[in-house]
Amino acid sequence: MVVRALLVCVLAAAVVVAAAGARPLATPGVTANEIKIGSSVPLSGEAAIAGSVARGIDAYFNYVNAKGGVFGRKIKFTYLDDGYDPGRAVNNTIRLVQQEGVFAMFSSLGTSNNLAVRKLLNDAKVPQLFVSAGATTFGRDYKKYPWTIGYIPPYSEEGAIYGRYVVQKIKKPKIAVLYQNDDYGRDLYSGLQLGLGKKRSAIVAKVAYDPTSTDVQPQVAQLKASKANVFMIFAFGKFSLQAFNAVSRLGWKPQIFVNDVSSASALMEIVPQSAANGSISIVFGKDPAAPIWRKDKGIRLFQSILKQYGGNDIGARDLKNGFYTAGMATAYTLVDALKKAGRNLTREGIMRAATHLNEKGNPFVLPGIVVRTTPNSRFPITQVKLQRWSKKAWRPFGKLISINPR
Amino acid sequence: MLLGVFTWTEFAQQIVSGLRDGAIYGGLALALVIIYRSTRAINFAQGEMATFTTFIAWSLMNHGLSFWTAFPLVLAIAFSGGVAIERLIIRPVENGPVITIVIVTLGLAVLLNGLMSLIWGGGNRPFHGPFSTRTIDVGGVPISVQDIGIVAVSFALVALLALFFRFTKLGLGLRAAALNRQSSELVGVRVGWMLAFGWGLAAVLGAVAGMMVAPVLFLDPNMMQTVLLYAFAAAVLGGLDSPLGAVIGGLLLGVTITLLGRYVGFVGQALKLPTALLLILLVLLVKPNGLFGRVAVRRV
Amino acid sequence: MRLKLGLEVLGLLVLALLIAVMPRLVDNFTAYEMATVGMYFIALLGLSILTGYSGQISLGHGAFMAIGGYTTAILSVDHGVRDLWTIPIAGLVAGVAGLIVGVPALRLSGLYLALITFGIAVSFRQIPIKFDHFFGGTTGKVLGLLKTPFGLSATPEDWIYYLTWGIAFVLLVVAWLFVRGKPGRTLKAIRDSEIAAASSGISIARYKMIAFGMSAFYAGVAGALYAIARAYMNPDVFPIILSVYLVAALALGGIDSFVGLIVGATIIYVLINRADDVTGWINHLPGVSLDSKRPGMPDVIFGAVLILVLITLRTGVGGALRRAFGPLTTRLYSRS
Repeated sequence: MVVRALLVCVLAAAVVVAAAGARPLATPGVTANEIKIGSSVPLSGEAAIAGSVARGIDAYFNYVNAKGGVFGRKIKFTYLDDGYDPGRAVNNTIRLVQQEGVFAMFSSLGTSNNLAVRKLLNDAKVPQLFVSAGATTFGRDYKKYPWTIGYIPPYSEEGAIYGRYVVQKIKKPKIAVLYQNDDYGRDLYSGLQLGLGKKRSAIVAKVAYDPTSTDVQPQVAQLKASKANVFMIFAFGKFSLQAFNAVSRLGWKPQIFVNDVSSASALMEIVPQSAANGSISIVFGKDPAAPIWRKDKGIRLFQSILKQYGGNDIGARDLKNGFYTAGMATAYTLVDALKKAGRNLTREGIMRAATHLNEKGNPFVLPGIVVRTTPNSRFPITQVKLQRWSKKAWRPFGKLISINPR
Repeated sequence: MLLGVFTWTEFAQQIVSGLRDGAIYGGLALALVIIYRSTRAINFAQGEMATFTTFIAWSLMNHGLSFWTAFPLVLAIAFSGGVAIERLIIRPVENGPVITIVIVTLGLAVLLNGLMSLIWGGGNRPFHGPFSTRTIDVGGVPISVQDIGIVAVSFALVALLALFFRFTKLGLGLRAAALNRQSSELVGVRVGWMLAFGWGLAAVLGAVAGMMVAPVLFLDPNMMQTVLLYAFAAAVLGGLDSPLGAVIGGLLLGVTITLLGRYVGFVGQALKLPTALLLILLVLLVKPNGLFGRVAVRRV
Repeated sequence: MRLKLGLEVLGLLVLALLIAVMPRLVDNFTAYEMATVGMYFIALLGLSILTGYSGQISLGHGAFMAIGGYTTAILSVDHGVRDLWTIPIAGLVAGVAGLIVGVPALRLSGLYLALITFGIAVSFRQIPIKFDHFFGGTTGKVLGLLKTPFGLSATPEDWIYYLTWGIAFVLLVVAWLFVRGKPGRTLKAIRDSEIAAASSGISIARYKMIAFGMSAFYAGVAGALYAIARAYMNPDVFPIILSVYLVAALALGGIDSFVGLIVGATIIYVLINRADDVTGWINHLPGVSLDSKRPGMPDVIFGAVLILVLITLRTGVGGALRRAFGPLTTRLYSRS
């Protein structure tokens, strides 16, 4: 009896669904006044600090809306917390696409989270724009996932840059590597190996750490014992801080390379400066805490937008938070793409715009960087500079380096 | 390449790291033990309570107080907080089934964690503790003053507690109340307040543990989450009703886990937590009273 | 007695009707959400048999859900097994894991068992990280997209709803029969007094282990459904806090009441996935203006409500809780 009732209901549901199938042909998430954009980021848990980019994005969209929006349409940006749990990220994404009816997903954070939603977004032909994740696959596998595009340079490329620098500039290098035991750390490491090329054997020690570690001092002690003179810190957040502390405590003085995600000035300022001085990292965005940009128009703009449109509790510390700047940089590119997609905004149109970028005026990235994409080259940021930490500040040096991710 | 070379210097450094991590576990385990002794309960919120009080210390220091000015204030706040929690939340469910107390402390943990996120937000922040980060050279092995300080404080706390329990009237009352409530009441011990005091004391110990540890772990709402499991392991290993056991258990655990993680490729970094869990299980099955615990006498 | 039985059967039928009808009344995504509630409900069902009827505590049931999820992921991604057929296998694998955990559990009293199972919840995720070649590590496994099979013309979301609640209903009936029948009465006897039960010839160990295995089976099924619904699996998909929420929701919803378990499952779902809504509701209170992006508020409310309920309901209305937990005090006298 129950089975029959169930079947009847399934049939009834099918009828309802079929009737609802006669949908109008307008683009979802786009009306005359509004473009709905969605994102899923970690606002709680270990990765919460990275999720703060969404706030920078939000502030920038508020600013753009205040100036009339894009072709008269205001951007309605909805971002949800996923606590870095891919199950939640999937739920958030389906909710945003189906219930909120967003036009596109934008700048969702995390490799595993973006992997989890990639198939379903591509299957539904919903753009997965400018993901905030460093795995190469998001820019590389466009044939299978044409609705997906990355943004930041892949971690493997960053590692390769360090490798090439070591080969060129350091005599008799002996490299020790501390890396986080997941894709993020492993991509950096494999990139390093690629960049070293034939000099791969310069790596004399590598130790992974688990994010549940109390402290990475034992790992650093192990690395120091290898007598390396180069130390690659491919660690996230507090573990990077602990690594610096351990280096200082153990009396080790290698040439340190610290990965971009952990290189925020706010973090570098806290560690013992004797260890931090001389550290090298890459940079492609403008760090609002770096003295070189203090009078820069782009950073001034960033700070005024954040103050006016970033919410009620913006304090002095926030104005120096590079995660917010990174968010604004990405948001700038999205608005650029929306403009290029034209007044008649469709999902195909935004993908076409996103894969034909030639953006020269992004005020939040290093001067000279061109945010460029083609349908076969889907890595928007492919230029970085090296920077060195000294006297409590990051100082970029050298010329822009181009990478060519494959 | 994972195991690397073996040098005695590095081995010594691993032991020092292990001892310091172990002192961290032992510090929190002390608080767990005090609660277990007084209320026969396991406080799943101990880590969050410790982190919360550390956040209060951080806030005070942000408003201009020095560490040593803030320190006694924080201890006082922690003590009153512990007493309040016992009287308001634990007392009503004390005589009930053990699962109720467990869930209540879990609820408290969730509440405190949420409160910390709400008030102070996520993200790591530095905490300037009482120890300098200078390094001294001990027989060719560089050891940080901070590491020595953490281990020393743990032992000092155990010693203080031992003195307190043995030589003060209050301490005696606490021990009596824990051992036999009915008889204690008969001789005039205010058992209710003894239990509350026990929780207050545990909160204070947790606060000290948190403030010692935050410079190393960096302060954020989830700071003590993994530490808590290691602290459980330390407490069980040492004997759930032995303060000295908690600290020694912690040190042993810290060194064992660090050495296993460093020199046994299979354990590596990934399996340190499960190893601690297996250790708890082994101890509970084989020698439930741990290394220093007393065998409980069951009154019929 | 007959009346009570009649009422319970009626209740089950009403539930069946509601399940069948619900997707017609709500939009597609809400059906998907209700499916997730159903998955937590299945896990809570299992947990209620373990804790309510055999008196054993588990703070680690998220781990059994993860075992189910991983079984489904590995079977369907690496071995091409159809997602439907992985569900019972996932349940079995998790059930076996539960039996294994049930062995040392026999020798551990309440507090210690809570400690060990809590340890399982915390350290379980290290296994897929360590053996990443098999489990996929943090990169995880991407399953095939949720699709409606057999040419049925329901949306995938409606499909997972019916699949989940269909299974939930069957498992509910099984649990109901179990509790009302000999096994349930045996467990209650054990729970009330182990000595008396043992002296009447019952093999306590066997029944307690079966309870553990059964509850783990339920959790495994729930985990498999979750993995199918989300089409992805990695160590972060069943976080530590889920195990805490499961036990807490059990206490809140009421161990004896299957309807209470649905309430509990809904609470878990809201806490995990609709926290922003909760903060939004709070903002409607006068004088409160919270940044809904600031996490933490729902946990504060949940923790506070949980504590309040447990404190106040130990007498009177919470008789259900009391009845379920009360007899545990005999076992706990030997709290050592």
